[in-house]
Amino acid sequence: MAGEKSTALGQGAPGLLRGLALPAWLCGLAFAAALLAVFQYALRAHVPGELEPGGFTLQNFVAQAHPLYIGVFWDTLLLCAGTAILSLLAGYPLAWAILRTRSRLARSMILAIVITPLFLGEIVRTYGWIVVLGNSGFLNAALAWLGLGRAEMLFTTGGVLAALVHVTLPIVVIMLAAGLAHIEPELERAAQSLGATPARGFFTVTLPLSLPGILAAGTTAFAWTFSAFATPQLVGGGKVNMISNLVYQLGFASFNFPFAAALAVSGLALTAVSLAALSLVTRRVEQRL
Amino acid sequence: MAVEALRLDGVTRRFGAVTALHGASLVVAPGEFVTLLGPSGCGKTTLLNLVAGFQTPDEGEIFLGGESVTRVPVWKRDIGMVFQSYALFPHMNVAENVAYGLRARGMPKVEAMGRVAEALRMVRLSGLEDRRPRQLSGGQQQRAALARALVIRPRILLLDEPFSALDRALRGGLQVEVREIQRAAGVATLFVTHDQHEALAMSDRIAVMSGGRIHQVGTPEEVYARPADRFVAGFVGDATVLRGRLRGLMGGTAGIEVGQAVLEADAAPLRGLSQGAPVDAFLRPETLSPGGPALLSGEVRSVVFQGGHVDVHLACAEAAGGRAVARLAPMLASGLAAGSVLELAGPSRCAAFPAEEPA
Amino acid sequence: MSWWLRLLVLLLLAFIAMPALVACIVAFDARSILNFPPQAWSMRWFERAMTYPDFRDGAWNSLLVMISASVIATLLGAGAALALEKLEFRGKRTLEALVMAPLVVPHFVVGLGFLTLFAQSGLPRGLPLLVLCHVVLVLPFVVRSVWISLKSLDGRLEDAALSLGAPPSRVLRQVTLPLLLPGLAGGWLFAAILSFTEFSASLFVSTQRTQTLPVAMYNYVREYADPSIAALSAIWIVTTMLLILAADRWLGLSRVLGTEVPGGR
Repeated sequence: MAGEKSTALGQGAPGLLRGLALPAWLCGLAFAAALLAVFQYALRAHVPGELEPGGFTLQNFVAQAHPLYIGVFWDTLLLCAGTAILSLLAGYPLAWAILRTRSRLARSMILAIVITPLFLGEIVRTYGWIVVLGNSGFLNAALAWLGLGRAEMLFTTGGVLAALVHVTLPIVVIMLAAGLAHIEPELERAAQSLGATPARGFFTVTLPLSLPGILAAGTTAFAWTFSAFATPQLVGGGKVNMISNLVYQLGFASFNFPFAAALAVSGLALTAVSLAALSLVTRRVEQRL
Repeated sequence: MAVEALRLDGVTRRFGAVTALHGASLVVAPGEFVTLLGPSGCGKTTLLNLVAGFQTPDEGEIFLGGESVTRVPVWKRDIGMVFQSYALFPHMNVAENVAYGLRARGMPKVEAMGRVAEALRMVRLSGLEDRRPRQLSGGQQQRAALARALVIRPRILLLDEPFSALDRALRGGLQVEVREIQRAAGVATLFVTHDQHEALAMSDRIAVMSGGRIHQVGTPEEVYARPADRFVAGFVGDATVLRGRLRGLMGGTAGIEVGQAVLEADAAPLRGLSQGAPVDAFLRPETLSPGGPALLSGEVRSVVFQGGHVDVHLACAEAAGGRAVARLAPMLASGLAAGSVLELAGPSRCAAFPAEEPA
Repeated sequence: MSWWLRLLVLLLLAFIAMPALVACIVAFDARSILNFPPQAWSMRWFERAMTYPDFRDGAWNSLLVMISASVIATLLGAGAALALEKLEFRGKRTLEALVMAPLVVPHFVVGLGFLTLFAQSGLPRGLPLLVLCHVVLVLPFVVRSVWISLKSLDGRLEDAALSLGAPPSRVLRQVTLPLLLPGLAGGWLFAAILSFTEFSASLFVSTQRTQTLPVAMYNYVREYADPSIAALSAIWIVTTMLLILAADRWLGLSRVLGTEVPGGR
């Protein structure tokens, strides 16, 4: 049943519908006000020992040009990019399996396992990783049992990366599967009928056609990871920091909210630029398809 | 060249408890155009997929050009297939699509482009090399898919209902065109359709299928005029069915009594029946004509003008289902109106089969 | 599918399921520090998780915030989606942008924003602040869910009702809303789950008194290393799985996820 659009209802009762949208307007304006508050704080001076900020200044942005902060920005970008790429690599076979597994039961099992973490929230999932990666955790117990030595993963970039990939994987799989579902299976069959091995058919037909889905999923993974807080905080243990962690520390440990706000603004700008670049690439790719 | 382009020997395919194909055997000669005709679920698509290699038979052997390919994967079979949706690669232009099979075989680009140009000339798509599939009309897409399948010089061309996505008005012309291209390429072809008109119009031979079995293989004329069993008689072409009695068998011919008339029929389907046994006579609408001696009569229910001819539908108590159809020249039908009573004379020969339930 | 692809998929599934499984096992460890594998078994961490005051208060706060935020967001979201789909009006793009923007703004920025906004306006940092923050964060999901349902809804049904003489308010109540129910239910469920699991923004806007369960858990992990959190996680995981099963039973999983157009059968 394709949606047959009707505007007669809207034309008949514009006032009613406008009224229905009013609370959403208020909510949206509250959000805008909150964002403005961040921007405004970012331009205010920090008065040590005071919660109330001082006069207007650009100092908070100038101070970010410090190797310490630049390093955290750079690490954040690398972690976001790394997480996006690893989630795509891990998510593609899973999305493929969900679409192409013949048994209904196996398909629902895979789907259930993949999406359950989506409903667990950041804390429960991150805690699981502490138990897995800890010095006397599951990973080291398993490695010792296999006689493979030890791995110090907690409080390392590798550990944070693994946990971040775990967080973004479900949404990446769902988006990739949605993209793959649009590709007619007959195209793969056609490639094989023309003499292409399944591998050649995959790389010349399926993969290029799933590129928009890959880019969409990658963009989402990038944005989600940028938003991550508990995972780098707990698995990174202060040794691996992302912008979110820095913002929190500056706010709640140093009570320097103006500088925290300025860092958040820079972070927003950084994601905005990255996402704009990604959407430019996406549009290019979609034009070619 | 081998004597047979394709040979199926007792091919069976099961899906769990369901048998989609029961020991099918079929031979396609080089250059021959053979159609698999049947209703949906009859096993024709399964058979095509088995020949293509998308499925493997549970029993039986498949030979292409005399060589067994039963266990050979799709991509090593050298087949050319045109899919129902055409399955043109949307991210490639027409030339890239057509070159795909050649490139997969490792042919250098320059050489491949020469062959592509030649193939596009054959399907009259020269000049559209740079178009994307979605920029082509339905008919052009179909010809591009045909070029893509033919350019690799396949051992057999497989056509999976390639006209079903097209407007009815376009089909007739394209059927003729596809057949001409196929003849020019000289490639053995297996064509799947549920449309009897397409099958009758295009085929050298037709294999009529239902319930996973091949009922009859024969030229369009044979299948139409001398159907091997009730199913074929009912599925290919229209028929009025009259109950009669077997009068006797003489050589290859049976005598059938229908009312006062005696008709001849092919004896093969009636062997083993005793004299006087009930039989059903299948009468093609164009073999019925107004006048006497009347084989059947009835009240005219509707007169349907079809251009070159007129279909007259009668309410007729003797006929199975209480209806009879006659196909008349427009001249003979003029003056007929619903409500008038029409007497029809029958042919001297028809198809007859043992009655379905005792009379 | 070839065997190596099957193996790869199995390994990836193990990677996804491992943290939750390991946490569930550790929850039964008798010792008070994390050490895998457990040597002796006990239920005492479940007892502690159920009785620890911060967890009890946090769970209560989370429940209150979840119910208020999800119900409010569903009502607001449905109204916004109806107006966006059915009406042409000035500022339509602005409304859409305002409502959907929290999707792309990191939660910690939203949390910081509401914290500074309330601090500057001198408003108290109570539960209403948490509810407002959660409503803003889950609203886009509700709007999207309802909007998808609206788009797939056959508008001719509304036209038919109007042509039969029903006034628009009646059509909305008796035709549109009943047909939208699956989309509303899906949107509400998604909003409730997101609100209950939300952490980053809540950390910024909550106080010791109003902290939600995830915030209480986070504070506990930073202070103690015992498996109480593992026990709490185990309870959480089992509850979530039961809820997902129930949702799948009653609503269909794909419908809840919004990957399938509701009302299409």
